[in-house]
Amino acid sequence: MVELREQERQLMLALKDAGGASKEEQLIKHSKLPSAAIMRAAMALRERNLITIRETKQTSLVLREEGKYHAKKGLPERRLITALEKLEGKATCNKVYKTAKLEKKFAPIALGWSQRKKWTTLDSKANILQLVGKPEKGSDEKLLELLKQKGNVATEELVSELRDAVQILKSRKLLDIEEKTSRIIELTEAGKNLLKRGISAFPEVTQLTQELIVSGKWRNIRLQKYNIQAPVAKTWPGKKHPYLQFLEKVREKLVTLGFREMTGTAVELAFFNFDALYTPQDHPAREASSIYYVKSPKEGSLDSYQKALRNVKRTHEDGWRTASSGWQYSYSIKEAKKLILRGHGTCLSARTLLSRDLEIPGKYFSIARCYRPEIGDKTHLTEFNQVEGIVIDKDLTLRDLLGVLEKFALEIAGADKVKFRPDYFPFTEPSVELAAYKKGYGWIEFGGSGIFRPEVTLPLGVKEPVIAWGLGIDRLFMMRANIDDIQAVFSHDLGWLRKKEVI
Amino acid sequence: MPTIDIDYYEFEQMLDLQLDKDIEKINEILAFVKGEVKLFNEEEGILSVEIKDTNRPDTWSVEGLVRALRGFLGIATGLPSYVVGKQLGEVFVDQRLDGIRPFIGCALVEDVSLSDKIIRSLMHLQEKLDQTYGRNRQKTSIGLYNLDLIKLPLHYSVAKPEEVSFVPLGFTEKMTLKEILATHPKGLEYGHIISKHPVYPVLLDSEGKPLSFPPIINSNNLGRVTAETKNVLVEVTGTHHNTVCNTLNLVTLSLVDRGGKAFSMKVHYPHRKMSVSTPDFNVKEMRVNLKYANKILGLKLTTKQTAELLSKAGYDVAVHAEDEVCVRVPCYRIDVMHPIDIVEDIAIAYDYNKIKPQWRRLPTTGWQRPEEHWIRIARELMIGLGFQEVLTYTLTSPEKLFTKMNLKRKRVVELSNPKFVTMTCLRNQLLPSLLEFVSNNLHVECPQRVFELGKVTLLDAESETRTRDEERLAAVVYHANAGFSEGKSVLDAFLANLGLNYQLTETVHPSFIEGRVGIVNVENLAIGVLGELAPSVLECWKLENPVVAFELRIEEILRIKLSSGV
Repeated sequence: MVELREQERQLMLALKDAGGASKEEQLIKHSKLPSAAIMRAAMALRERNLITIRETKQTSLVLREEGKYHAKKGLPERRLITALEKLEGKATCNKVYKTAKLEKKFAPIALGWSQRKKWTTLDSKANILQLVGKPEKGSDEKLLELLKQKGNVATEELVSELRDAVQILKSRKLLDIEEKTSRIIELTEAGKNLLKRGISAFPEVTQLTQELIVSGKWRNIRLQKYNIQAPVAKTWPGKKHPYLQFLEKVREKLVTLGFREMTGTAVELAFFNFDALYTPQDHPAREASSIYYVKSPKEGSLDSYQKALRNVKRTHEDGWRTASSGWQYSYSIKEAKKLILRGHGTCLSARTLLSRDLEIPGKYFSIARCYRPEIGDKTHLTEFNQVEGIVIDKDLTLRDLLGVLEKFALEIAGADKVKFRPDYFPFTEPSVELAAYKKGYGWIEFGGSGIFRPEVTLPLGVKEPVIAWGLGIDRLFMMRANIDDIQAVFSHDLGWLRKKEVI
Repeated sequence: MPTIDIDYYEFEQMLDLQLDKDIEKINEILAFVKGEVKLFNEEEGILSVEIKDTNRPDTWSVEGLVRALRGFLGIATGLPSYVVGKQLGEVFVDQRLDGIRPFIGCALVEDVSLSDKIIRSLMHLQEKLDQTYGRNRQKTSIGLYNLDLIKLPLHYSVAKPEEVSFVPLGFTEKMTLKEILATHPKGLEYGHIISKHPVYPVLLDSEGKPLSFPPIINSNNLGRVTAETKNVLVEVTGTHHNTVCNTLNLVTLSLVDRGGKAFSMKVHYPHRKMSVSTPDFNVKEMRVNLKYANKILGLKLTTKQTAELLSKAGYDVAVHAEDEVCVRVPCYRIDVMHPIDIVEDIAIAYDYNKIKPQWRRLPTTGWQRPEEHWIRIARELMIGLGFQEVLTYTLTSPEKLFTKMNLKRKRVVELSNPKFVTMTCLRNQLLPSLLEFVSNNLHVECPQRVFELGKVTLLDAESETRTRDEERLAAVVYHANAGFSEGKSVLDAFLANLGLNYQLTETVHPSFIEGRVGIVNVENLAIGVLGELAPSVLECWKLENPVVAFELRIEEILRIKLSSGV
């Protein structure tokens, strides 16, 4: 007993109906099978010598857009000489072009081919074109006409004269030669015999159903084999945003290292963003081009910080008790009360230093959304996140500061080694820049830090040294995520988020 | 941060060093002055150096850089000697300048050998000082003149807008002060500094010839310095006496470094009964306690070592007591306000990389906001429900918050100086951010399920910043068959997994379809909204499929969770 699968059986019957042989396209039309299924079934039947598959290759000529245009209007050189005839066989090039209404891009083509075909001669000094004889229609033009009539033509059907013209038109990029394989499927004798004896199919099932399982009917069916290489519909998982996931890891690391999280509002008092950090009130960082100001309400309240405000004012003006000369100007409380969008996370450190809950020794960090009116570029955004914080204890030194930086580089950036450079912030002295080296990445600037100036800590009532640090996490993220544009962080591209591998 | 352009070859020659056009090598040297090469135009030999220190204008010229570096590089240690010669002229200041631009400082520099290159470099320094240290000429502005054309003494005075006229720099016709403000490019740029006053500052020579119209422009006849100029008058006017004098010092020192000899002028303020001799190159003294320095640096430096390091950093040092040094600070180091500034220079001279880092184990406990725990759980639940997390800007516009949401405009935190029309205020709800996200992804395969855990900012008169931030969760489902029940099913699963029961009460909300929107209540507290977006809203966002969405005040949920003691 020969067992056939359902689709194979259907194909055999369709061939029988077609009189024993049929083109593939025909079969697709008449049987209800999809073309991939037909070919799959045909291959299986051929294996068993029930059918043969004959492939024939055919080349057909198809006009391109420009070819179609010329088929309609005539080749440019033909249009050229037709115009030249009208002008009694002699005229300047421009005049001929104009009379022929030749498009600018076809003019040089027309001139070139008319000479190549020896239809015209050109007196290049006088720029005068002259007609030679009365040119007959060439084979290329005849082929063009044929194609215009028939749409496409099989090369095999062409007379030999026109076959040569194919190469000419092809080289002029007016037509394409398309190759097509067509298959004829035919029953073999064995196949015909089998059909005579009658064929039955073993029931084949695509979907295994609950009914089949529970009833036990699965024993009497066969489950169809799949092409496991075939592509399937896409599934998109729910995923964390890669940048936020990265931030979460940084947060975990900092908590593990013993840091406490500080938080605050996006809208901040200029006092904490600048004044308490010893940034003078006419500093360029406070200009409208460097910091966002709130339109309304313009001012917040400093009522809870009267003492600190007094101290900061004096410190700016003449140094107060800090042993500093101060900035030597007249400090404005109105300026301090202005509301801004925080430009860095250091304002949170200033608030923590002033807080009654400040712990000494203490380690603090914040992950703060910050804002600056910058036109975004590949490394800067107008809205961005900053990771920074402080370490406070009696007798902290520059060595401890370098230790904190080194720890961050090793633990957070996974660096192999570190390097320090002098840096500058208005609120720290000494100030240090951290560069971290990781194999495969090279050196990156990974942070800035310093010891808060006495002009910062003393007015806030803090006598212990305070190490302030900030981490260049965006650059680290860009390297980890292998992106060169920080704007991908606030990506508006769902496709990118879906495809981005988890880091 | 100022970026200064210097001539590479001149820099190399003045340092007497082979830098081999090696950026890394140059950066290593520039590290001493907190500088870094931003760009090297090899063709023109121009090195663009970014100086991080906004408080060291003395390093904003090639002369200044070399002056600051020479000790570190071992060319010459200690305090460079700069002297001012005898007084050669006087300036009389008019009382009426009070409240406008009351101060002036002048210096005479003789026997300078200038070239076009040097003049370009001087102009560059002048520009940087005007811009940054002089706060765009508001605080100070600088003028240079050919001294040989000027009859001393000078008069720094005022004039009515149409009273005085002269040919401004770069022009050929005489113009009144008023015309200069109205038509000269510098008048248009800086006119706002003085135009509100009825009279404007002018600097005149003894014959009443105008030298300049500070802070706008010099005279083309007297105020132009060329390669042929031998003797130069430097003048700085401004609103702060200290800043004026400091700026004058910096420009004068650059000319002295170019071989000039500085002489002083006496500035008389008769109304203040004050006369000041400018420029003033006197050093100031600062005592630095060695214990203090060592305590900050974590080092054990002796007075001798400290003195050597300070000398390398360009100071002179006298040892007074066993643990104290008296540091002579040059006049141009205006950044030195406190002994801590000198301590940093000790560390830089010592070399940061020779100081051994030390990780101090402190008995602190790591801590994050308890909310963070629940936010993480909320995030994981949403991901489990098949949603993609997105991150959007908190800056947005009223158009997106209200118009496109079919809502009446409310007060939000608006910026007085927005940079982009699409980012003029802080958001008060999350949903528009997510709709914007979807509208940017119309070409991306559906179904789209996205969520964001993010902050919104609300006005709050009680708060010291007049605002408070609130954590929110919003989720959006977008596909051909998206509808209310899918959204509700997600919300069910989300809240049930947080152990919360909720009721949905009917409401009317202009952003949503009537009858397909509800208020989400937990423990009788409204914590959010769930609904199918109104077609008019979809149209505003150019969305082509239905959208079901919810937005929850996740902070309220956290509060309920935290208060239940979980």
